[in-house]
Amino acid sequence: MGVKVSLSKKYRSRGRKGGRDDVFSLDVSFEVGNELVVLFGRSGSGKTTTLRCIAGLETPECGSIVVNGKTYYDSDSGVDLQPQYRRPGYVFQNYALFPHMDVRKNIVYGLKGWDTAKKEERLFEMLRLLHIEGLEGRYPSQLSGGQKQRVALARALAPSPDILLLDEPFSALDMVVRMRLRERIKTIQKELGIPILFITHSPEEAFSLADRVVVLHEGQVRQSGSPREVFYSPVDRDVAELVGVSNIFEDGDVVGNSPEGFVLEGRGMQFVTSSDVSGSDIVSWGVRPENIHLMAYDEGLLSDECNVFAGTVLDVTDKGSSKLMAVELDGSNVVLLCDVPTRLLDDAMGSRVIVNIAAQDVLVFE
Amino acid sequence: MLEDALIPLSITLKVAVLSTFLVAVFGILISYALARRDFRGKWLADILVTLPLVLPPTVTGYLLVVLLGKNGAIGSFLFETTGWTLLFTWHAAVIAAFVVSLPLMVKTTASAISAVDRELEYAAYTLGHSELETMLFVTLPLAKKGILAGIVLSFARAVGEFGATLMVAGNIPGKTNTMSLSIYTAFQSGNDALANILVITLVVVSLLSMALAARFVDRWSV
Repeated sequence: MGVKVSLSKKYRSRGRKGGRDDVFSLDVSFEVGNELVVLFGRSGSGKTTTLRCIAGLETPECGSIVVNGKTYYDSDSGVDLQPQYRRPGYVFQNYALFPHMDVRKNIVYGLKGWDTAKKEERLFEMLRLLHIEGLEGRYPSQLSGGQKQRVALARALAPSPDILLLDEPFSALDMVVRMRLRERIKTIQKELGIPILFITHSPEEAFSLADRVVVLHEGQVRQSGSPREVFYSPVDRDVAELVGVSNIFEDGDVVGNSPEGFVLEGRGMQFVTSSDVSGSDIVSWGVRPENIHLMAYDEGLLSDECNVFAGTVLDVTDKGSSKLMAVELDGSNVVLLCDVPTRLLDDAMGSRVIVNIAAQDVLVFE
Repeated sequence: MLEDALIPLSITLKVAVLSTFLVAVFGILISYALARRDFRGKWLADILVTLPLVLPPTVTGYLLVVLLGKNGAIGSFLFETTGWTLLFTWHAAVIAAFVVSLPLMVKTTASAISAVDRELEYAAYTLGHSELETMLFVTLPLAKKGILAGIVLSFARAVGEFGATLMVAGNIPGKTNTMSLSIYTAFQSGNDALANILVITLVVVSLLSMALAARFVDRWSV
C-alpha cells in the first residue's frame, strides 16, 4: 500500500522576465506509505507538475504511478487512466470551487450515482468533519478564504478518495487559520489512513506537518525522509538552504579531532561538529540562524571551549518575534546570520558580541 | 395589405428561429472545440467559420449556390440520393442565415468558454465527471452570458439577412420573401404603403424580441 511514483517529463516553462522559454526536465521518483507526505521545494521545482501527473491532469513522458496497488499510469504497459477514473481528492491552490453552485452542490458534486438520502448524509458528515455546518446554502463568493479552503477539502474528501492531493492549500490564509487547518489535516490523515501529498514551499509548514518530507529541487528528488532527517541532516547544499540553513561553509578541510567531535576548517575559521566525518577530508557544513547564540561581549566568556567566537554586529533586521543579526567574526571575513530572541541584546549596530554554537548544531553535508 | 406583411413576417420568423436554433447547437460545439481542444487544422476551421463575417453576403451567397446547386458538391449528392433540391426553398434561406450568423455565435461563445477557469474543469474531472458532463454542468453554465449574447446577436443577424438569402433562396412570394426582401421589392416597385407597413412591423417585432431577450438574459445570468 501507499504511493509509488516514478516519472519523467520535459516541458517548456516560461522564461523569466519574458525571456526565452526554458526546457524544464522533471525526473522524480519516490515511494511513500499511507502517511502525510510533504512535497517541499521552491516554486518551479516541479512539485505541482508531479501532483498533476498523479491526478492525471498532466501526462508524464514515461514512468509509472501506483496508488494503493492500483496502477494509474505505466508507460511500459500503456496504462493511462483518465482523471475521472483515478478520482483523487484534489485541493487546488485557488480552491477551484464551482462559483455557480452553492456549498451543498459543490460538496456533493463528486458523489455521482449516490441516492439523495445518502448524498445528504455524506454532506452533513463532511460539514461536521470540517466544522463548517450552516454554510451549505452559501455560494463561494460569500465565503472567507478559510471557509473556501474547508469547503474545497470537504468536496475533495466526500467521495472517499484513495489519495488526497493538496497544492499549497494554505498559502493565501492567515497564520491562525493556517495553523488550525494544519491540525485538521493531520487528524484527517489519522482518521482516514489514506496517503496525503501536500505541497508547500514553507519550511515551517513542511516540518510541522509532515510524517515524511520529499525535497524537490530543479525537477529531482534530492532527499526523502522524516522531517528530523531532512532538517537536521540535509544531504547537500541545496537541501540545506531549502530547510533554512543559511550559514554555509563550502569545501572546508577536516583537520582533526577534539573531545567534542571533529574539527573543520574553512574560510580561516575552525568549527567543531559532533557529526561523524571520519573518512572524508573535504566537507561542507552549515549552521541555522536560530542555532547561533549571542551574548554581550565579555572577555571572560572567551575561552578555549569549542565554537566560541568574538564578533561585531553589522546589521539588524527586526522581525517582531525575533531579530535577524549579521555578525562578522573577528579575524576573518565570515559573516554569520543569527536569529535571536528580541529582548536578549542591545541591538546597536557595531556592538561587540560573543558567538556560541553547539557542536551538534554544526550540520555537515556533501 | 396586412396579409402582404404577415406572410413575410412569418417566413422571417420561421427562418430566423430555426437558423438560430441550429446556430446555437453547432455554435456551442464548434466554440468548445476551438476553445478547449487541440486538433490538426484548427486554424483552418477557425478561418472557415469566421470567413462569412468578412466576406460580403453576396459572395457568401454565391459560394453557397456553388456548393448547394444541382451541380454543386453537396447539392448534386443530395439531388441524386433524395431527389431534393435545396436552392430557392425556405430551407436554403435557413442555411444562408445559419452561415452568416455562425461566426457571431462562435466568436462570442468561444471567448466566453476560454474565459472559464480551466482549474474548475480539472476539479470536475478529479470528482469523477467526464469531459461531456463537465462541459454541460460546469463550462457552459459558467459561459452562459457569452452564449446568450451570441444567440441574441445570431437571431438579429438572421432577421436582417438579405444578400445571401437573395442569392440562394430567391425572392419567391409566399415562399422565400422574407421581411427584408419584401421591403426591397415593395420599395423598388413604388409600393410605399406596403414598404411602410413592412418597415414598421419589422421595427416593432425587432424591438419586442430584443426586449424579451434582455429580460431573459437578465434572469438567466444571475
